[in-house]
Amino acid sequence: MPRKRDAAAMDDVGIEIDGDLSDSDDGVAKRRGNRRQAGGRGAAKGRGRGKKADSEDEDEEEEDEAPRGRRGANKKKPAKKRGGDDDDESEDEGPKRKRGGGANKKKGGKAQDSDEEDSEEEKGKKGKKRGGKKGEKEEEDTKGKKGDAKGKGKDKDDEKDKKKKKKKDDSSSDSNSGSDEDEEESMSEGEMAQLMEEVEEKKKLIANIRNKPWRMGRRLTHLREAQQFVDKFEGALGKGKGRKWYAYKVMMTKKWIKFQRDFENFRTACIPWERKIKEVESHFGSSVASYFIFLRWMYGMNLVLFGFTFGLVVIPEVLMGLPYGSIPRKTVPREEQDTAQDYSVLMDFNGYCKYSVLFYGYYNDQRTIGLLKFRLPLSYLMVGIGTFGYSLMLVIRTMAKNADVGGGDGEDGEFTFAWKMFTSWDYLIGNAETADNKYASITTSFKESIVDEQENQKDENIHLRRFLRVLANFLITCSLGGSGYLIYFVVKRSQEFANRDDLSWYEKNELELIMSLLGLVCPMLFETIAELEDYHPRIALKWQLGRIFALFLGNLYTFLFALFDEVNTKLEEEQSIKNASIWAMKEYYANFSRMVNDSEATPPPMNPADVIRGPCWETAVGIEFVKLTVSDIQVSYLTILIGDFARAVIVRFLNYCWCWDLEAGFPSYGEFDISGNVLGLVFNQGMIWMGAFFAPGLVGINVLRLLSSMYYQCWAVMATNVPHERVFKASKSNNFYMGLLLLVLFLSLLPVVYVIMSLPPSFDCGPFSGKEKMFDVVMETIDLDLPAFMGTLFSYVANPGLIIPAVLLMVLAIYYLNSVSEAYKNSNMELKKKMQMARDEEKNRRNNTDSTNQVMKDLEDLLPNRSLIPPAPPEPEKPPEPETKPTKTKPGSAGKGVNLQKDVALASPNPNTRGPVSRPPAPRGGGPGPGGGRGRGPPPR
Amino acid sequence: MGSSSSGMKDVPDAQELVQETGFSAAHLLRLHERFEFLDRDGTGELRPEDFDAIRELAMNPIGDRIIRAFFSAGKETLDFPSFVRILAHFRPADKNRDRAQQEPANSRTRKLRFAFQLYDQDGDGKISRAELLQVLRLMLEMQVTEEQLQCIAERAIQEADLDQDDAISFDEFKKSLEKVDIDHKMSIRFLK
Repeated sequence: MPRKRDAAAMDDVGIEIDGDLSDSDDGVAKRRGNRRQAGGRGAAKGRGRGKKADSEDEDEEEEDEAPRGRRGANKKKPAKKRGGDDDDESEDEGPKRKRGGGANKKKGGKAQDSDEEDSEEEKGKKGKKRGGKKGEKEEEDTKGKKGDAKGKGKDKDDEKDKKKKKKKDDSSSDSNSGSDEDEEESMSEGEMAQLMEEVEEKKKLIANIRNKPWRMGRRLTHLREAQQFVDKFEGALGKGKGRKWYAYKVMMTKKWIKFQRDFENFRTACIPWERKIKEVESHFGSSVASYFIFLRWMYGMNLVLFGFTFGLVVIPEVLMGLPYGSIPRKTVPREEQDTAQDYSVLMDFNGYCKYSVLFYGYYNDQRTIGLLKFRLPLSYLMVGIGTFGYSLMLVIRTMAKNADVGGGDGEDGEFTFAWKMFTSWDYLIGNAETADNKYASITTSFKESIVDEQENQKDENIHLRRFLRVLANFLITCSLGGSGYLIYFVVKRSQEFANRDDLSWYEKNELELIMSLLGLVCPMLFETIAELEDYHPRIALKWQLGRIFALFLGNLYTFLFALFDEVNTKLEEEQSIKNASIWAMKEYYANFSRMVNDSEATPPPMNPADVIRGPCWETAVGIEFVKLTVSDIQVSYLTILIGDFARAVIVRFLNYCWCWDLEAGFPSYGEFDISGNVLGLVFNQGMIWMGAFFAPGLVGINVLRLLSSMYYQCWAVMATNVPHERVFKASKSNNFYMGLLLLVLFLSLLPVVYVIMSLPPSFDCGPFSGKEKMFDVVMETIDLDLPAFMGTLFSYVANPGLIIPAVLLMVLAIYYLNSVSEAYKNSNMELKKKMQMARDEEKNRRNNTDSTNQVMKDLEDLLPNRSLIPPAPPEPEKPPEPETKPTKTKPGSAGKGVNLQKDVALASPNPNTRGPVSRPPAPRGGGPGPGGGRGRGPPPR
Repeated sequence: MGSSSSGMKDVPDAQELVQETGFSAAHLLRLHERFEFLDRDGTGELRPEDFDAIRELAMNPIGDRIIRAFFSAGKETLDFPSFVRILAHFRPADKNRDRAQQEPANSRTRKLRFAFQLYDQDGDGKISRAELLQVLRLMLEMQVTEEQLQCIAERAIQEADLDQDDAISFDEFKKSLEKVDIDHKMSIRFLK
């Protein structure tokens, strides 16, 4: 195209212009050439630079010399034919030059002029300097065997003439350098090492150039020359072996890059459920997807917990512990044996379930089991504590990482819509289904942006809004307080009821009824009240989550309360049973000796099924948790099945014969309840954390639950739900969910730690039976298994004198880090503001209109005399656009007309002359047909 | 050089193309292979129908436009040099290009210009609202109402429109996509 023409023209004009132009073009070509061809003709070396870039040239030369000098010095054998002179030259010239620097160069390679380069000389019209340069070039090009052709100054034809040239080269070098070739081979070792080193150095320079305390200009020149150097020599490292090696390296780099890409693809494919989640995301928006991502994260964490629990507790017990039926704690008592296999009993986790490895009571208190001397009780305790430790660490780490990512959350995109429009399609999509999803996701993302936009345009009456928000919060606080009191009241009452036995059905189940009623009614109530606040749906979701969370805490509280009551009664009961069982044992032996009448004979051990045993409160607690979890699973699955699926089926099929439009009208399809599901997940996890200590099998159940619910819910949401009316973008960091999880984790940590540290374990079941406290197992290990000094060490560490300073130190560190991060945040905000301002200003300048910056305008208005405004904008009288905009109240938009900027300092510069995107999205389910909510038509083409 | 020189003979005008577009010989060869693969009749020229064989284009909402962009006005066929010239837009930009008087096809501006032409159907140098709406209709699902489409187009124009002429000129287009990594998005990796 044009380039060629230019090149042709340039031949006429002469070398000066030629230099300017080919400067870049050839640079490009050369680099390409180098990279591509192993030989890397140092093609563009001969590029004629006019006087334009003197300084650059000098630098470059300096650059070139350095290696050459060394190279020369490095040569072991004196060069043969033509190399001879050159080498001598460079040998004594190298150091001199280095010293001489630029001055030397000004004179040009006088010394070299004497070389055989006469022909070049005449072509280099630029006189000495040019000639000198060529000379150097030449010399250096002896390496690449390009000299003759190169010097002609027809640089831009290099690419074109390559073949011809090559032939020439070959012929010439063939004729005169049979030996040269050998020499090349032999010396390339040392030389290459040198060059390599040099190249590495340069590369390092390129990498670090930012950190160099230089001026920009200097940096640029250095960078450029370093890059040129690297480009030139990396490829041109001689022929023969070096070249092959280079070719090999290039090939391997390419392969490596390809491999990396494939590996990346593979890794993406390995992320479990990524495609499922993406599909959901494309139809329902990132907010719904955020739930599934959370679910997946939870699954991962539980998988690790499961690994710990089963690997270190359950499996060793099964493999190495005593078998079922060997001791009382592992046997179903005789009175229960008849019913132990009944379905209803098993479903209540009694019977065989209760005396299985799933529960605390089954584990024996042997200090070590099996050949490996596995310390099961210690391991049990450690896993119990480690579960919490690991979860805490993981949650906090994830939060920290999310906070890192979440920086660009606001994404104050200037051109959101334009970007979305021009760049959102993925041009690699070649699959109809994927394309479908992409259509949906683009649509969804547009809707999300619309919602965000609406939010920016809002805030018409800030006082009313504030009042309503305060009111809403007041109402919600009231209802929360009310329900809290109700729970308290009911719990009290149920304690009274516990002592009576003439209870009606209602009185028996009062607590559960009230709790589930509250759980049913309150979230809906909150949602209604939240309408008053009119938050952005993302923020509204957070509020909603927080409020329901507070409500559910009441649930948790009652549950724990009831549990501790039960535990206390069991503890009392246990004391008497302990005596009774000892007495029974004695009696058994007495009876035996009396019947046999032989005091010598050792009586056969009592049948383990007959031994009187304690209530084993830990197992009872564990059963309680497992039951709760299982019923929770059932309820949530049934809710989906009935509330979503049945409803969808009815709406879909009864719609044919119904008097009103079911799909658009009253029942409609369900929306995916993000807050409910997230909270369900969080609380479920709380149950797992609390219960895992008492029922190791619970973790396994939970893993199954999460796994199945992933598939089930993905299916349910895709099949039965419709996208939210206002699809909104979830914040990138799921930190709110994580925060809730952390809170629940902490809350569930408390009771378990309390139990471990201060309640006495049951005397006849579980791995800690016979100990005063569960924690004693650690003490025992320290005493018996560790060397004595460790014990003293621990006692020192546990000294309050050491602990209190440590805690103090930590508090101080937290305070310090906190304030530092605070400061960073502030400066960040400051910078953001500045950037925004700069952008606004620029835009305004370009618009040639008045500043839209609210603050400035206010100030201007305050000025009595406008002459004081220094840079009078072209038409200062022209009223700023956004304010002149009349209150456009379209019927659809609930008075979002007035376009007051929300944040005056950041005054977004929309000259919204033509009305914002402020209409609410259309009612869902565009197609009235049976296609349901999602328009799944073929992509319009 | 030696390896590719044999195959290069099949490629018409190889040297000129190499020089003009900046493709390497190997790339050119590869493109030529691709060209011949697409050219099912073996006429040495591509017709628009030939492009339909590319699934990625068939799926693309503006695939038709992209295909049309390959054909200069009024022509129904495409020979290999033009094919390469068009594809030169998609060559990754060279990292440290010095300022050049003549911009190569893979420069940012030229890339954007190419994209711009896809949207500017009537070729008047401006993307008008109607043109935006067309694209939007192609890109979005059915469930977005006409009104919303209008709004989106409106918004997009507002955001990008700096001189208030109710349309997006190329400069405005360029400006609005300033922060988008065009070099990344509009580059075909293997042409590196």
